[in-house]
Amino acid sequence: MASLHSASLRQANLRHANFGQYMAVMLVLGAGLASAAFAQTKKEYSFAVGPNANISVDTQYGAISVRPGSSTQVMVTATLKSDKVEVDLQQNGNRIQIASHLLSGADEQTGQVDYEVLIPPDATVSLHSSTGPLSAEHLQGDLTLEGPDAMVNVSNVENGHVHVRTMRGPITLTDVRNGHVEIASISGDVHMQSVSGPLVQVNSGSGKIFYDGDFGSGGDYKFTTHTGDIEAVAPADVSADFSAHSVLGRVHNDFPLQPKQHSRFSFEAGRSFFGTVGKAASEVVLRSFSGRIRLKQR
Amino acid sequence: MTCSDVERVLPELLDGAPDGALPEEVKAHVKSCPACSDLVSDLKLIASEARQLAASEEPAPRVWVRIAAQLRAEGLISDPVTGDPEPAPSRPVFVPVPERTSSGRRWSAWWLAPVAAAVLAAGSYVVTHKPVPQVATQQTPATLGKAAVTATATPSPVPVPAPQQLTRKSAKPAFSKSATAVKSAVEPAPSEEDQQFLSAVSTLAPSMRTTYEIQLQAVNADIRETQAYVDRNPGDMDARQHLMDAYQQKALLYQIALDRIQ
Repeated sequence: MASLHSASLRQANLRHANFGQYMAVMLVLGAGLASAAFAQTKKEYSFAVGPNANISVDTQYGAISVRPGSSTQVMVTATLKSDKVEVDLQQNGNRIQIASHLLSGADEQTGQVDYEVLIPPDATVSLHSSTGPLSAEHLQGDLTLEGPDAMVNVSNVENGHVHVRTMRGPITLTDVRNGHVEIASISGDVHMQSVSGPLVQVNSGSGKIFYDGDFGSGGDYKFTTHTGDIEAVAPADVSADFSAHSVLGRVHNDFPLQPKQHSRFSFEAGRSFFGTVGKAASEVVLRSFSGRIRLKQR
Repeated sequence: MTCSDVERVLPELLDGAPDGALPEEVKAHVKSCPACSDLVSDLKLIASEARQLAASEEPAPRVWVRIAAQLRAEGLISDPVTGDPEPAPSRPVFVPVPERTSSGRRWSAWWLAPVAAAVLAAGSYVVTHKPVPQVATQQTPATLGKAAVTATATPSPVPVPAPQQLTRKSAKPAFSKSATAVKSAVEPAPSEEDQQFLSAVSTLAPSMRTTYEIQLQAVNADIRETQAYVDRNPGDMDARQHLMDAYQQKALLYQIALDRIQ
């Protein structure tokens, strides 16, 4: 009986001690969060610009989001996570440069600046962030987005060049029309939905490439991986000249292709296919060294 | 006669056989097919260039000396410390540049730009100047594959024919004057420029060292894998293009690092 009572006391003491530790941890966390929230600063800037402005945003750490706003003004909202980072702004005529400026002791957390930028839809935009994410939407000018680890999202853009470069950050393009698209990644996956234009060129080393669209009309589509898989999904009424070859991987095709007399690849059963569908309006070349290639009918 | 049929007889053409030695149907196809005609012209040019390069397949030492002198003049490299118990290496040693505190991009690593360019140039050199015809015709595919495996798995100081030497250069495109073989069966030691690259990353952006190292190893593995395949299948033009692509990936990695840490 005595031992049972002693055990109950020990359990009660243990619960009390755990509660105390829990409260201490919560207090420390709360103080940390409050401090971080307090240190965060939001700054807003605006610039008057003319047509076809050129805007670049460069931050070592943080997100950059660009959307259309007024046709004569650039509005920038910068959220600085601490006082260890500053924002440098420069305007030379129609060219605006926005850059984060790390101070001594800044790291990935304290050096972070998130940017939300409203720009004229026809502006040329260059975004760079090591960590990202980077996003651009509803624009018509040329876009360049770069970041080693940045997740990149581009949607609803048309008539401009779209150049994206990442090391391992995943890239998503949605509803890109009449674009000159060039994407390069070392190991990032590339996902394209309704992307078309005179040139759509994607190169990823070990990342996967996925395309879902109709390959437009009159464009060159070149998707290349080293070890990553390639999957393209197109409607039955697509009009394209397809060539696919995987040096060491397998290929699969759902379409009834019309044979061609000449091809860039020699035919190798299971490793290549080529032929045309419809009037062969666009050229589609799918190449991989050891990845699997699949052309699917929607 | 199709394009594939023509490709099958191309090694004969590349070996220096005159056009007259080709079957009539091949000549007829080449004459009527612009793509094959272009291909034959290109391959003839490559074979011709490769024969001229046979005696000097590696850039002259003065090239490396001039690059090293330029880097040394900029203070980016220094000569090794004398008195080191280890034998003094003949190649330069990277010295980090002091941190700039007044800028978000705090470090100078612009030396990566010429190195990245050198990587790409070396890749281009390997892909476009390799003397294909000798390899394609002197050995059967089976023996060629065996030879390639032997050459890559067993380092040997014995000089080997030019194609294998070029293979080794692909793994060590810059600052590489050694004739040691590539050990693709196991992870080879980083090349000189890769060591400099990783040294810069670890000094200037230590949190990113592991990430860049993994990416670099992956890209180098892709290059070795593709090079080995091209060695076994020298007539595979698509594989050659993949080799070029792999070098471009490595150059891209250097460029991304340059952007990050300069």
